[in-house]
Amino acid sequence: MEADKPPAVTMRGITKRFPGVLANDGIDFEVLRGEIHALLGENGAGKSTLSNILTGLYRPDEGEILLHGKPVSFPAPRDAIEAGVGMVHQHFRLAASFTVAENLVLGHRDAADRGLLLEPRVVEGRIADLSRRYRMPVNPRARIWQLSVGEQQRVEILKVLYRGARILILDEPTSQLTPQEAEQLFQTLRLIAAEQRTIIFISHKLEEVMAVSNRVTVLRRGKVIGTVMTGNTNTRELARMMVGREVVFTKKKEGPAQAERQVALELRRVSANGELGTPALHDINLQVHAGEIVGVAGVAGNGQRELAEVITGLRRRTAGSVIVTGRQIRGGDPLEAIRRGVAYIPDDRLGTGVAPSLSVAENLVLKAFRRPPISTQGLLHPGRIRTNAVDLMQRFSIGASSPQVPARQLSGGNIQKVLLARELSSRPLLLVASSPTSGLDVGATDIVRGLLLETAGRGVGILLISEDLDEILALADRIAVLYDGRIRGVVERQDAHVEELGLMMAGAA
Amino acid sequence: MIRIERRLTEARWLVVAVPAGSLLAAAFLSGIILALTGHDPIGTWARLLDRGFLAEGAMSATFVTATPLLLTGLAAAAAFRMQTWNIGAEGQLYLGAVGASGIGIALHDQSPVLIIPAMVIAGIVTGAAWAAIPGVLRAYTRTNEIITSLMLNYVAGLLMTYLIFDSHSYWRDLSTFTARVFPQGKYLSDSASWPSLGLAGIAIPFGFLLGMVAAAALWLIYSRTRFGFEARVIGDSRAAAHYAGIRTRRKIVAVMALSGALAGIGGASEIGDFRHVLDPRGLQQASFGYAGIVVAALARLNPFAVVIVAILLGGLSNAGFSLQGATFPAGLVGTLQGLILFCALAGELLVHYRIRFVRRAAPLARAPEKFGAA
Amino acid sequence: MNNTILVVIAASAISYGTPLLFAALGELLAERSGVLNLGVEGMMLMGAVSGFWAVQTIGGPGWVVLLVAVLVAALVAAATSLIHAVLTISLRASQIVSGLALTIFAGASGLSSYVGHVASLGGQPARHEFAAIDVLGLKDLPIIGPILLHQNALTYLSWALVAVALFYLYRTRPGLHLRAVGESPATADAMGVNVTVYRYVHVMLGGALAGIGGAFFSLAITPGWLDGMTSGAGWIAIALVIFAFWRPELALVGAYLFGAFSSLGFTLQTRQVHLPPEVFSSLPYLMTIVVLVLVSTGWARQRLGAPASLGVPYVREER
Repeated sequence: MEADKPPAVTMRGITKRFPGVLANDGIDFEVLRGEIHALLGENGAGKSTLSNILTGLYRPDEGEILLHGKPVSFPAPRDAIEAGVGMVHQHFRLAASFTVAENLVLGHRDAADRGLLLEPRVVEGRIADLSRRYRMPVNPRARIWQLSVGEQQRVEILKVLYRGARILILDEPTSQLTPQEAEQLFQTLRLIAAEQRTIIFISHKLEEVMAVSNRVTVLRRGKVIGTVMTGNTNTRELARMMVGREVVFTKKKEGPAQAERQVALELRRVSANGELGTPALHDINLQVHAGEIVGVAGVAGNGQRELAEVITGLRRRTAGSVIVTGRQIRGGDPLEAIRRGVAYIPDDRLGTGVAPSLSVAENLVLKAFRRPPISTQGLLHPGRIRTNAVDLMQRFSIGASSPQVPARQLSGGNIQKVLLARELSSRPLLLVASSPTSGLDVGATDIVRGLLLETAGRGVGILLISEDLDEILALADRIAVLYDGRIRGVVERQDAHVEELGLMMAGAA
Repeated sequence: MIRIERRLTEARWLVVAVPAGSLLAAAFLSGIILALTGHDPIGTWARLLDRGFLAEGAMSATFVTATPLLLTGLAAAAAFRMQTWNIGAEGQLYLGAVGASGIGIALHDQSPVLIIPAMVIAGIVTGAAWAAIPGVLRAYTRTNEIITSLMLNYVAGLLMTYLIFDSHSYWRDLSTFTARVFPQGKYLSDSASWPSLGLAGIAIPFGFLLGMVAAAALWLIYSRTRFGFEARVIGDSRAAAHYAGIRTRRKIVAVMALSGALAGIGGASEIGDFRHVLDPRGLQQASFGYAGIVVAALARLNPFAVVIVAILLGGLSNAGFSLQGATFPAGLVGTLQGLILFCALAGELLVHYRIRFVRRAAPLARAPEKFGAA
Repeated sequence: MNNTILVVIAASAISYGTPLLFAALGELLAERSGVLNLGVEGMMLMGAVSGFWAVQTIGGPGWVVLLVAVLVAALVAAATSLIHAVLTISLRASQIVSGLALTIFAGASGLSSYVGHVASLGGQPARHEFAAIDVLGLKDLPIIGPILLHQNALTYLSWALVAVALFYLYRTRPGLHLRAVGESPATADAMGVNVTVYRYVHVMLGGALAGIGGAFFSLAITPGWLDGMTSGAGWIAIALVIFAFWRPELALVGAYLFGAFSSLGFTLQTRQVHLPPEVFSSLPYLMTIVVLVLVSTGWARQRLGAPASLGVPYVREER
């Protein structure tokens, strides 16, 4: 770090409003050259908005930005790129059907590579240089959809470096990596920072902020709470700054959980195809007992979605059998699964889990509309739909101004409550929950986790599919690791080690 | 600088203001086109309004034109609500006319009590069957229904032409020498003429009354039945519908058939209320099916609004037909309909978004400076 | 030999397929940018009527007049497509409804018909038309002579355009940007590609090519003007883009396949094949349906071809 030079980034009094939300409220933020600076905050604290302003994607309503002491303004992303700011988005900004090289030259212009024609050979040479220098091997001719998540992230980082960025912003970069991959990423980042480049590391995970950063700035509800040297603080203090109170997440009580040994779900040698018709699940064997939470850990894209969809009837299996409370289900028929007591919280909440333009009340009867009392002889009863909504909104404390508002207007946490209210009120025997807390703030996360534990306590078998290893360790009785469409192993929670799980998630053990 | 922001709630008053504003804006824009081509916009508009709504007997004629528009408008609304794009109301209307005239000819010596319901049912069945073709292809082979339903419009038109002009079909009049040389369809008997309701000197055709009943039924289906609920979920998100265990394929076929049935009634009413003969040229020139899309969009797919909009656009079309000539060139009605739809689409933005004129944030008004440039 | 039925059908398939190829190439470019334009039929008719108007109005040597007429047709149709661009790209209107509106506005009983009547173009004999060129005097060469070496200038232009489109899409930087805008506008935007500009340009380019396709009807196939003279070719062109998996070289193949269906009735009738004319006339429409069904059943393949953001408006600053 060179403290005598002007800071790499200075943001003063940044304010950004969205309809109904004050996302950034007078933010002052400073990052030094060669520093790894963590931007810590809950989901919705305003981290992404701030970084989108710094990359020219949003324009601030108020405030000014200085890079290396000089005022700048970015009317468009291109201007930020030209000023040397590069962003690695959490949801990668890569065109899936393009090659690595094509993604790197997209929109790019500099002296060596700006002609009208594409020059694949020149580009590939430069990519090879970069990947050697930062120890990030990648094949420039591979198409993005053929790469693993970890490799795709490398492409994202290379893309930013290819454009000669001096300031790199990484948004939740570890959210889809195995613990080992994350450690590798940290080393790459240190290598980059050592070249006097500046790194802004956005995260809501305290441990990794402690592990990688030099300084931390904490955001809460669009405001800066403070900036501290990482060496002078600890996770407890950071957590308090981030949330504004002490946080203790709901955790499963230790000890053997399954009182009832009745089997809620059994998968026997199940195989299924993915979206493109290629095999995505191979020979899956798994049991979930009544009252038990089985966690499925793994990096995204290793068959999680297919697994959930095969159990809930949304996807046909190509082999094997799915047995719910002792009876086999035919498969490929979601209605059959619903009638057999399988509830499902999909990872795609808005779009699959709820119909976005339909009202909260209608979404709460998305499955129950077929049965009395909601409908009789094919006719709906609006009054009963409304009472049902009022009742569930109160029981699950869903924050919506009225049952008639369209679901898309709710916050992520409230949408998830709508989903849980609907699925749990159907008195299921089995619940499949995919990434049930991703994108939720601390408060909502805790409520969702509490509800899952309570549901298991009532004897419902739960299959918890999550990329968040901490979440699985906090809630599950047993943990299965999914890699490349296969179960790499099942361990009891008390025997589980993060290291070992990480290796299994990477397919190494 | 202009900024477009999503409104948190739909602005209610705009739901009425947008269609009304669209009509006015389209009138203005068409005035420019008229003036550019050497016509007097105000005079043309005055005659249009006079012939469409004000002149002696104009409203009765307008209702005759509004009847098929009401039914094809409902047909489009029924399908579009579920995001199923049935563009085939045109052909489904032809088929409805073929079916209804066929039955009408067959039952020519029966009483109206039998013959009229039979014609309506025939229109429903043939229209629904024709619409079910793109429906089945959409549901079971994922074939784009926009193109298939549209292609079938041309086929339906050719089918009618064949029946009257190039064959000795059941529909063709072969009883006289002139009819054999100058092909035309068999005229239906008087007992196949649909009645009309006289109201304040305006004759409201039976088909229009059927259309009003259909509008109410459509509203009921979409807001009060399981079927309609499922269709709305599918229209909003196919993924959510699949997730909720809704059988989307059957529903697509059913809604397409429903849509086709409504257009088919439109075809039947053209025969029963107005033409009393299968008239391929007349039906094809009217292009009620395409105009139905305009009606539905302007009514924002609300069945009751379709009734009102159908009367408004019916007046325009009616005036257009009767005024057609050197000073009122053909094509003006379609141009006008297109303009109305453009304006309605632009106005839709106002319903969902707020447009704000803001000054650029002051501190950022400086020219962009590149890092390292100085 | 050059009079055998297959050669005649092939030669006329190319002639009838050329307007389809122009329109399909244009639609392909628009869709590659993520904008579906269902107004092709309307734009073609605007091109047809304005091209014919230019030929009847402008004086000068035949080839100059025809050249200007093609430019006029392209410009007028591009201007027509601008309405769609404004509505769908800037105002975020439904691409489906806006495209339909465009066809109603400009189509057979819309503005193209109005213009035709105002300028009294109907029934006028064409002053100039695109005639087949006898390339290198080789039109009598067996088989390939009539098929490949005796077509008009616009057909040869369309072949050049296929090559240009291929080169543009896969070998140039703007082509890469275009594909990115259609595939993942958020990615392109974040990389500094101006999504709005790319979409406007390619929708209007699509309009211009549709206009030339329309002019091919009024200046080459049946020189003259008739309301709705394209009779659904614009819609077939849209189907053709799906058939071609959004690739120019396959659009070429498809255009001639559909050109063959369109010309079949005409050719067979001159050969004394007695079937009702409606059977032949409905062939292109029915075959369009059949081909679409065949292409759509392998839906995974279809997904690989379609630009991922097709039909979706791109809005950056919205949460």
